[in-house]
Amino acid sequence: MRETERQHIFENWLAQYMVIIFKVVRAYAFTTADHDDLFQEITIQVWHSIPNFRQESSATTWLYRISLNTAIKWLRKERKHPQPETLDKVEHVLQESRMPMDERLAWLYEEIYKLDEIDRSVTLLMLDNFSYKEMANILGISESNVGVKINRIKKQLISKSKKKDHYGI
Amino acid sequence: MEFDELKQVWDSQNNELLWAINEQALHNRILSKKKQAHHITNTSELLLIIVNMGAGYFVLQMNLSSHSGNIFMYLLAAWMLGIAWYLLFSRIRRLKKDKQFDRSMHGDLNYAISVATYQVRLSLLGRWSILPIGLFTLLGLWESGKSAWIIVVILMFFALTTYASRWEHGIYKRKKRELEILKGKLEKEE
Repeated sequence: MRETERQHIFENWLAQYMVIIFKVVRAYAFTTADHDDLFQEITIQVWHSIPNFRQESSATTWLYRISLNTAIKWLRKERKHPQPETLDKVEHVLQESRMPMDERLAWLYEEIYKLDEIDRSVTLLMLDNFSYKEMANILGISESNVGVKINRIKKQLISKSKKKDHYGI
Repeated sequence: MEFDELKQVWDSQNNELLWAINEQALHNRILSKKKQAHHITNTSELLLIIVNMGAGYFVLQMNLSSHSGNIFMYLLAAWMLGIAWYLLFSRIRRLKKDKQFDRSMHGDLNYAISVATYQVRLSLLGRWSILPIGLFTLLGLWESGKSAWIIVVILMFFALTTYASRWEHGIYKRKKRELEILKGKLEKEE
């Protein structure tokens, strides 16, 4: 694959599917520095993955696979060797959007963040309408396992959201 | 909330991205990468020139003063001096080319990529020149009748150097890719 072709695909993917990368970054990284770090890591892996993209799956499935796998690996590495927090004023490449995030969306991300790394992936894919088969394929787990996880996560999220509504938190 | 409502909340972010790229921060990151690439290239380039020039003249001087007829040692000296002069001319060409880039974000990024590309070529040259240097050294030692264990130790040393230079080359290639990815992000923003 020629470099210009690769660059073209990369720019195209970033322009069309940046939202996927942002969702994964938001679900797996907590601090602003971590958002930057994971975003950088995912974009690098996406770049590396382009020559291996055979169009057997859609670009969204491919990008989710790369992003989630990178995020899971990044999280494991971070747990093993956490980067010390710096007090220096660092400029971050990712800047919060001017519009404040919907309170309910912020709550949803908080709940996703509390899940373990695989359940977070399942939740993201479930909310983005992936089929059991696609999820199983992306995450390398069985379809029945996906089904069990989805049932549990759905129940958990609905029950927590009802509690939240009830107590007005 | 029922699941459908949760889904609606989730889908709302598809219209409004959570983050925007901070162009100033991106430019500062590019400047820092440019500075780093320039520093690494400048230092390794000078180091290669000095080491090859010094070692080449040293081997040549030793051979001339001892009236040695060892052809391989002369070839080794010629190779090292050739590499040193080639690097010196490349450096002059590179420094002249540096002035072509403007001080915009794109100019800085293109400059950093150009320096990184040069560094990748430089490390490749260093990597491949180990082969003739190793070969001439070993043949020279064999010709002068040095014992086998010295030749084995030298061979191991060159094998280790080849491995280290391969690893180093990988680092420079990765740094160049990071810059190209940054360029992709920047072009996507426009």
